[in-house]
Amino acid sequence: MSKVLMKGNEALGEAAIRAGCVHFFGYPITPQTEIPEYLCKRLPEVGGVFLQAESEVAAIHMVYGAAGAGVRCMTSSSSPGISLMAEGMSYIAACELPCVVINMMRAGPGLGGILPAQSDYFQATRGHGHGDYQCIVLAPASVQEAVDLMTLAFDLAEKYRNPVMVCADGMIGQMMEPVEFRTEGRGPPMAENDWALTGCEGRPRRIVNSLHLAPEQNFACNVRLKEKYDRAAREEVRFEVYGDERPDLLVVAFGTMARISKSAIDDLRREGRRVGLFRPITLNPWPYARCRAAMDAMPVGAKVLDVEMSMGQMIYDVKLAAEGTRAIEFFGKAGGLVPSPDEVAERIRALLP
Amino acid sequence: MGHIAIEQVRCKGCGRCVVACPKNLIEYGTELNERGYAYVVFKGSPEQCGGCTLCAVSCPDQGIEVYNSRDRKVFVNTTGLTEAMTHYCPGCTHGVVHRLVAEVLEEMGLLGRTIGIAPVGCSVLAYEYFNFDMFEAAHGRAPAVATGAKRARPDRIVFTYQGDGDLASIGGNEILHAANRGEKITVIFLNNAIYGMTGGQMAPTTMPGQKTTTTPFGRDTADTGQPLRVAEMLATLQTPAFIARGTSHDAKGTLKTKKLIKEAFEHQAAGRCFSFVEVLSTCPTNWGMSPNEASDWVEEAMIPYYPLGILKRPEAVKA
Repeated sequence: MSKVLMKGNEALGEAAIRAGCVHFFGYPITPQTEIPEYLCKRLPEVGGVFLQAESEVAAIHMVYGAAGAGVRCMTSSSSPGISLMAEGMSYIAACELPCVVINMMRAGPGLGGILPAQSDYFQATRGHGHGDYQCIVLAPASVQEAVDLMTLAFDLAEKYRNPVMVCADGMIGQMMEPVEFRTEGRGPPMAENDWALTGCEGRPRRIVNSLHLAPEQNFACNVRLKEKYDRAAREEVRFEVYGDERPDLLVVAFGTMARISKSAIDDLRREGRRVGLFRPITLNPWPYARCRAAMDAMPVGAKVLDVEMSMGQMIYDVKLAAEGTRAIEFFGKAGGLVPSPDEVAERIRALLP
Repeated sequence: MGHIAIEQVRCKGCGRCVVACPKNLIEYGTELNERGYAYVVFKGSPEQCGGCTLCAVSCPDQGIEVYNSRDRKVFVNTTGLTEAMTHYCPGCTHGVVHRLVAEVLEEMGLLGRTIGIAPVGCSVLAYEYFNFDMFEAAHGRAPAVATGAKRARPDRIVFTYQGDGDLASIGGNEILHAANRGEKITVIFLNNAIYGMTGGQMAPTTMPGQKTTTTPFGRDTADTGQPLRVAEMLATLQTPAFIARGTSHDAKGTLKTKKLIKEAFEHQAAGRCFSFVEVLSTCPTNWGMSPNEASDWVEEAMIPYYPLGILKRPEAVKA
């Protein structure tokens, strides 16, 4: 199939339709607004539903209703809007419903700014709403990967009956790149299942609920969810290793920052330096064992540099992977500033002997 | 003539039937049932009972069946409710309104294709009582959940069941916009002028001067505003809708409210418009009243401020 030049946000909208998602509920916020703007034109063409909600709070609860009624559905937002969706995502996870939430991260905290950032890492990977739940979090580093991960996102959402977050940043949402869609047209609908609320004609009634007043019952729910997350940690870890296999310095970065780091690494390798990249694609479950293996393959005294568009959030996971075996250096900018390849390269040079 | 059968174990002794019986044939009992309630007893003879069903209509607990002179059941408990005994306090009319909704859906043949949405508040467990597919929503978000479900399954009947804290306070935005979009859903809104489940705090609907745990000296409207008339507010929207207010505090009002609920679901079934029925209800526990005092208070304090009737109908059916 031929490539088309598309803006990241629009490509994600198209990717959702190709993945069979034709129900979208969302609210405008920069820098993701092109997703609803694209879908409001495209979804009627494929017999889908586009609805602009009155708030992100309402949007995520519309997703809850649509997911509970057994249709493949999604919403998209950006950082402050994702904060407002925390309540609904907790309910959706607790009720074990599938949905996809895109976060085109922008700078924070508070109203922050509209420029790209990765400062919602904690929010994305640590549950974000109340209670003992997790989202599966996918972090694309290009428009093409964002498109490809959309199909995976819906597959995982339905396999685990859990919200999946596609956690990109404003850079990926706003840039235009050639992109190839692997499938054509509107993807297949969600499979028939034994949990969706469709009207109880001819079967026992069903309930979608997260209230468990008896602590034993609630604990059983907690245990069931944890088993699911543990299974995802065993089966769904995705990552990329780039550059030297036994580097003197290993960069750990995700999303746009990994892509920028690759440019820096390419430059440094041309200088004859041995530098590698470990890029988690699943931010949750995080590829601890594989990152540790990459660290363990390095020579004694080799360095690890965590690079983020934040004040340092993923670094705690890198430290967990290292388990104290290595010091983890950090380089990052936040507030909407994006480190350039040269800045990353300069930092790496300073750390190398 | 007729007679009634009181299911002792279901009776909470609230006495709403005692007041409802036009012939004074039911009286408060002294024996306790296994749940610790002094259940009511039928003291009349079959010759005296007219089988009018007002006792059963008033009962919040599905506790009375009524037979006519030929021993035929004239008041049958709806299959739209489960057998579960509700957690509601004696004299609370949530149970009455649950029954009205279930009866209407059963009579319209819609039980098998209905999706209901329970709120947060006293009726949070409504999914245990309605005998069809049910969601339990986050506090105030039921209209958004209903929107998602209805947009996903437009051929199903989708309704929310919400109290005044849920709908008029935390869910103010969701109800306003669901109504304004003209979502083809039905909203059943119980207004008892207080937060029940959390133990009697002020609601947006609390009456001026009404004592609650957060207005211990009575609601001061200079400080907290006037009670919110949600039905009136929604009726100002330009989007076509069916907006009505009924009551559940007495048998007569309950029968009228059933008609309103039926019309609401008819509008939805015809794909016509958003439909909304506010139902005044009682909270004897948090009002600090007996069930029958609470019914009187609805009549005296609430209805003058929250007048009953149809506030808005879609243009197409007005003629």
